[in-house]
Amino acid sequence: MYNAKMPNKDDLPSTAQLIRSTGVALAVAVVILFGAVLPAEYGVDPTRIGRLLGLTQMGEIKQQLAEEAAEEDLAAVPDLVEPEVAAPPPIVAASEETATAEPPTDEVEAVVDAEAVWIDEVSITLAPDAAAEVKLVMTEGASAEYEWSVDDGNLNYELHADYPDGDGFHSYKKARGVTGDIGEFTAAFDGAHGWYWRNRSGKDVTVTLRVRGDYSEVKRMM
Amino acid sequence: MTPAIASKRTGVSMLSRLVELLRGRALLIPVLMLAAFAAMAGEALAHAVAEGDKGYIQEITGVHLVSFLYLGAKHMVTGYDHILFLLGVIFFLYRLKNIATYVSLFAIGHSTTMLAGVYFGVGINSYVIDAIIGLSVVYKALDNMGAYQRWFGFQPNTKAATLIFGLFHGMGLASKIIDYQIAEDGLLPNLLAFNVGVEIGQLLALGAILLVMGFWRRTPGFMRQAYTANMLLMAAGFVLIGYQITGLIVF
Repeated sequence: MYNAKMPNKDDLPSTAQLIRSTGVALAVAVVILFGAVLPAEYGVDPTRIGRLLGLTQMGEIKQQLAEEAAEEDLAAVPDLVEPEVAAPPPIVAASEETATAEPPTDEVEAVVDAEAVWIDEVSITLAPDAAAEVKLVMTEGASAEYEWSVDDGNLNYELHADYPDGDGFHSYKKARGVTGDIGEFTAAFDGAHGWYWRNRSGKDVTVTLRVRGDYSEVKRMM
Repeated sequence: MTPAIASKRTGVSMLSRLVELLRGRALLIPVLMLAAFAAMAGEALAHAVAEGDKGYIQEITGVHLVSFLYLGAKHMVTGYDHILFLLGVIFFLYRLKNIATYVSLFAIGHSTTMLAGVYFGVGINSYVIDAIIGLSVVYKALDNMGAYQRWFGFQPNTKAATLIFGLFHGMGLASKIIDYQIAEDGLLPNLLAFNVGVEIGQLLALGAILLVMGFWRRTPGFMRQAYTANMLLMAAGFVLIGYQITGLIVF
């Protein structure tokens, strides 16, 4: 390369300088490793600096997401729901529809509220960083109205439905850090359509969902 | 020494040099390809859960300056295509003043398009832009080898080239960040923190490169090895281009 200049020894750092610089670089690397990288990637924070900087929280969220993804991979494929073409539940207030949500130990209630003309109501308390999912079993073209709100804090959510072939999902609506939503949606295909909520607000949040419309079942998915 | 003996000795040494060159090159291409594929560890999308940096960003709202600073630095340090270009740029720069000038030009270039691209939501097909970034590596390696002077009898302005390719690098950064879906709430402060992080990551990578270069440049073999090194750099650039164009066609 005839256009590149031979380095002038005076321009180059001396060997002593280089060795000293290498030592400094190693020290800096150790500080960055323990102060930033380990907290931010793994939530490992021996110096407590990571928590001060907010990086340990990042690592904890990443670890949680990784664990949840691993669990999802291990879990059996959810049954593809075949909704029966039965008579749609009456929208009139006087109905006695009960939600067939699987009740685990926490607070999933099925209540008919005569005044509000909602058919089903579900209430879930989410601890910080916890997630929950409630879906409506619907046929393509069916529509449902909903409203949900929180008592305290805020939630991230996504109104969505998994594709029947199991490959991905369809998203209707999503938002972060909100206290509620009201609306209506039309099912894009046969299946279970509903809400995934995640609590990142740092305190317990109780979300109450009310729905009415063309669905055969209200299912608590997680 | 008779001329016959002299030429025979020259013949042997040339052959062994060629073998040495080929051996070095043959190993590097598969290694680079392995590295390229390994680096594409991407996010595993299980159900609705995105993982890693993207997953984290999609879970949060509001201003998180240090977190975004970290993510910017990480993005640059693990962005091997950006690092390769940077290596090409400083390869024959010995004075700190020159290094600072060129690195600043690169920084101005990529900061401008990155910030503008994310803030205004202008995303360009990431395969196309990453292929152009691969091209920037090839360009710089050829420039270092003196190719343009040899072929065209003309040396394109290196400062301008660094700035212009910097703009493309920034577009590549922007398309990745748009994919992260940073929340609207707190977007601008987070983005600026991310940009500062990118520059810090750049300085860290530069420090490591200059340390190695510092030792290397003092050895007598540097100028000779520099040619091979730039050839390998060019090969790496071609691998990047090929990889991205394949991605464009396949997806």
